[in-house]
Amino acid sequence: MKGLLLKDYYMIKKYCRIYIFLLIIFIAISIFADANPFFIYYPPLIAGLIPVTLISYDEKEKWDVYCNTLPYNKKQIVSAKYLIGFIFVLSVTILSAISQSIKMINLGTFIIQDIILLSATILAVGLIGPSLLLPFIFKLGAEKGRIAYYIIIGFLFTFITILYGNRLELGNNLESNTYLIIVIITSIILYFISWHISIKFYKDREIA
Amino acid sequence: MEALKITNLCKDFKDFKLDNLNLTLPSGCIIGLIGENGAGKSTTIKLILDMIKKDSGNIMIFGKNNQEFLKLNKEDIGVVLDEIGISGCLTAKEIGKIMKYSFNKWEDETFNNYLSKLNIPMDKMFKDFSRGMKMKLQIAIALSHQAKLLILDEPTSGLDPVIRDEVINIFNEFTRDENHSILISSHIVSDLEKLCDYIAFLHKGKLLLFEEKDVLFEKYGIIHVTPYELRQINKKAIIGKKESVYGTELIVKRDSIPSGFEINPISIEELFVFMAKENI
Repeated sequence: MKGLLLKDYYMIKKYCRIYIFLLIIFIAISIFADANPFFIYYPPLIAGLIPVTLISYDEKEKWDVYCNTLPYNKKQIVSAKYLIGFIFVLSVTILSAISQSIKMINLGTFIIQDIILLSATILAVGLIGPSLLLPFIFKLGAEKGRIAYYIIIGFLFTFITILYGNRLELGNNLESNTYLIIVIITSIILYFISWHISIKFYKDREIA
Repeated sequence: MEALKITNLCKDFKDFKLDNLNLTLPSGCIIGLIGENGAGKSTTIKLILDMIKKDSGNIMIFGKNNQEFLKLNKEDIGVVLDEIGISGCLTAKEIGKIMKYSFNKWEDETFNNYLSKLNIPMDKMFKDFSRGMKMKLQIAIALSHQAKLLILDEPTSGLDPVIRDEVINIFNEFTRDENHSILISSHIVSDLEKLCDYIAFLHKGKLLLFEEKDVLFEKYGIIHVTPYELRQINKKAIIGKKESVYGTELIVKRDSIPSGFEINPISIEELFVFMAKENI
């Protein structure tokens, strides 16, 4: 799988420079005391969607067809993208943890539990996007997959809102540790389930 | 041993059907798949490579079921695709590195030799290559990992005649080793005429003819006839017919033509065009 990862590395270097630049700028801004939480949570969202950008390029340039003639199986082709997603989200998590530690030390509010909790939340935020989107893309291709994803997620949220209405409280309070731990573990499990489903979908897909 | 054996292969799409294809490629030989655009050449190649799933039939590569073979021996097949498929941002140098990590039997030296022989720049981005250069790079990749079977989809399209000739020589050289075989598809029939041992005509998803090239020349010929002479000829001997104000041109089976007729040699291109027209 080394060759696939190397090829994606070259592509990220050339096509995704702007994303990486944004990630670093946002993480840097988040060090400032009065920075909006947006600057903490936006980088993992971008990082998680880098594999999707790569797949779109692959399809546009027909690499998705050609790489199936190289000595790789479909499991490896899917896994390369999930690994890249995971590496990016993890890197953003580590960088954010460092930046937030600096911020808290400066403010004199450094507590290791808070950093761990915050890092885990960032990891979860980063993994949730590709977990939900990638299976659609491996099943239907980048374009159709994205449309199907938006439609299904739209219906899902509408359904949840109708069902639970105002009773639904999305916990963004760091005090509810148990709730967060559940979210984090679920998001990691979800990523691996999504990985498995994508392999199955891609194995069944015809590369035409 | 047979490098490739296809039996009763069928694949039905909504608007196209590959119908009961039978082909055999003996080891050490080159088979040319001739057909117009949309005849089923790329479909056949994608079925062999298991990129699309067959509806029925059997594909064997070096005596093994194709899916089984591809699981373990994909390295043994070098592929050139008509639609290319290399990322535009990569240079030949980077592609070489990617392939080095992809193929266990990758040969850097062979690859670099082909790059210089085929005048492929090392540091230019792939998206800035001409179509011919893109094709040549794919050919260089296919030839640099000790493949035993080359599967080439329109590899000479977009190449100028001099380079085409050079590439054809490279393919000829490749099959000097009797363990090496090539399946090549093209609509540039003259290339295949030079190169192939076997010729297969595909037309609208159907195999019109599959024969050893030399046998084709021995078996078929062209005659010019008057309407009176036409009546003397057994209809079963006629493969194709072209009528004009100057008379009628027939493609015929040589052994079924009465003596006295002058039978001219036929080119593969003429034979294909005649047969395709007859089957419209």
